[in-house]
Amino acid sequence: MNITVCAKQIPDPANETSYDNGIIVRPEEQVLDDTDRYGIEVALQLKEKFDAEVTIISMGPAGTMKGLQQALQMGADKALYVDDDSLKGANSLMTANVLSELAKTTNADIVIFGTESTDGYSGTVPQQVSRFLNLNCISYVKAIEIGDDVSLTRQTSEGSEKVKMPQNCVISVTAGGVEPRYPNFKDIMAAKSKPIEKVELSTLNITTEQNLEFMSIEALENSKNGEKITDEGEAFQIIVDKLKELKVI
Amino acid sequence: MKTLILGEILNETLSSGTLEIIKKAQDENLDFQVITIGSSDAPKIGSESFKQTYIKRSSESLQFGNVTDLITKIVNDEGINLILGSSTYLCRDLISFISVDLNSSPVSNVIDFEINGDAVSTINSINGGESLYKSKIASNHSLLLVRPKSFEPADVELNDNFETIDVENSDVAIFDIYKEEKTGPQLEDSKVVISAGRGMVDKENLVIVEELASKLNAAIGGTRAIVDAGWMPYSQQVGQTGKTVKPDVYIACGISGATQHQVGMKDSKFIIAINKDEEAPIFQLADLGIVGDTLSVIPKINQNL
Repeated sequence: MNITVCAKQIPDPANETSYDNGIIVRPEEQVLDDTDRYGIEVALQLKEKFDAEVTIISMGPAGTMKGLQQALQMGADKALYVDDDSLKGANSLMTANVLSELAKTTNADIVIFGTESTDGYSGTVPQQVSRFLNLNCISYVKAIEIGDDVSLTRQTSEGSEKVKMPQNCVISVTAGGVEPRYPNFKDIMAAKSKPIEKVELSTLNITTEQNLEFMSIEALENSKNGEKITDEGEAFQIIVDKLKELKVI
Repeated sequence: MKTLILGEILNETLSSGTLEIIKKAQDENLDFQVITIGSSDAPKIGSESFKQTYIKRSSESLQFGNVTDLITKIVNDEGINLILGSSTYLCRDLISFISVDLNSSPVSNVIDFEINGDAVSTINSINGGESLYKSKIASNHSLLLVRPKSFEPADVELNDNFETIDVENSDVAIFDIYKEEKTGPQLEDSKVVISAGRGMVDKENLVIVEELASKLNAAIGGTRAIVDAGWMPYSQQVGQTGKTVKPDVYIACGISGATQHQVGMKDSKFIIAINKDEEAPIFQLADLGIVGDTLSVIPKINQNL
């Protein structure tokens, strides 16, 4: 079984995102998006049961490749990435187009994603990839049970539902769906010798183009300058009084 | 501009997210029709004032590929240029699929949009609502995923007059359908919301938040961090990837106020924040900030209500 996991290198989320002409500024050193750790974990659990090869695919400035290394440290076997200046600020459809083409080069049976990246939050790429690849999309998976069959539990607006994992499909995994593993020292060392290969954009069949023109970013004044009181044991009374004033009680 | 609104059903009628988009379409005088996707037998979703088509899916088959084929065909046949859906699980899936068919990238997390002649421009909220990001769509089709609560819901009388289209099953069957029991006040429409964050230290401590919520008849929410940690179901997550709430009073308990969370609650009318860290970003949004230990302050409120 070939399992392909899409993973994204993002600027350290501890820092505020900055933009240049509407495009997220990406430092040389980016980290693995935590959201993707859930997808990688699902792939590794499948690999343990079904003897699969797990390939990471990624699009974006490669930089120091720290994020890709982090994905390999968790236990993925190899990584492929596309890094091309013409993709700077690519919309979600182009991103999905590139990732679909990359997934084809891995002969993927199963393609796994997180539900949305922590920097862009568009939350549409897994579904778009499934449509490009003409595969069923099992979105918002929040639990997985691996036996002879694999059953996937999907989050829905009303609750949840289960499906049996098809032989070929795209899966998106919600944060918290599984418990991502932490690599130990041995895993970290082993990752250093795993292959990371650059794929040239020109070798892929790209049929999409930019359709969103950046206009402006406008800062809002959010700060309310509200009251701030340090609790010395009696602050509860201030809240109780306020709730009465607001007629909540 | 010929417009299609993707509708959803909640409690046998149109969801509030759908009605919000209908209101915006009415205000903009858009030439719109609604296609609603659901599995109810006899929902009340028709209207005198717009065309409604019901794509009735089976709850026991994953039919979204077939649903997409139907919608794309209608879009092409009828020359629709603008497609609007609420940022829900279902519409996110459908608009993403359709975007591939129409070769036009969608815009997610839209909080407002403008139409000038043939041009659609969108406004997104970024960095936890600290900034607005404006862009213009330069393709024949504009696909927008609109954040719930961006507009007031439309006040329309609904009936059961609409055309129904059935969908063919796919080869993926759905089983073990579980409906989360919705008891007590719901996040989306409660006047008071109490949310918990990492500052609650342990899942067991949520009982004090639950006690306060029951005393105030409030809905309970949580941050992404505690939902990821398994303390609360995803349906209670408030924030960028969760729900947007705008209650009269929002009480943030042990929440630092990551931008991911702020986006879902910053428009609450009155915000009370309790947090140990006086530098926590949540205090910038708070009308009343208490620098202190949530675990000591909340039980005292409970005793004094």
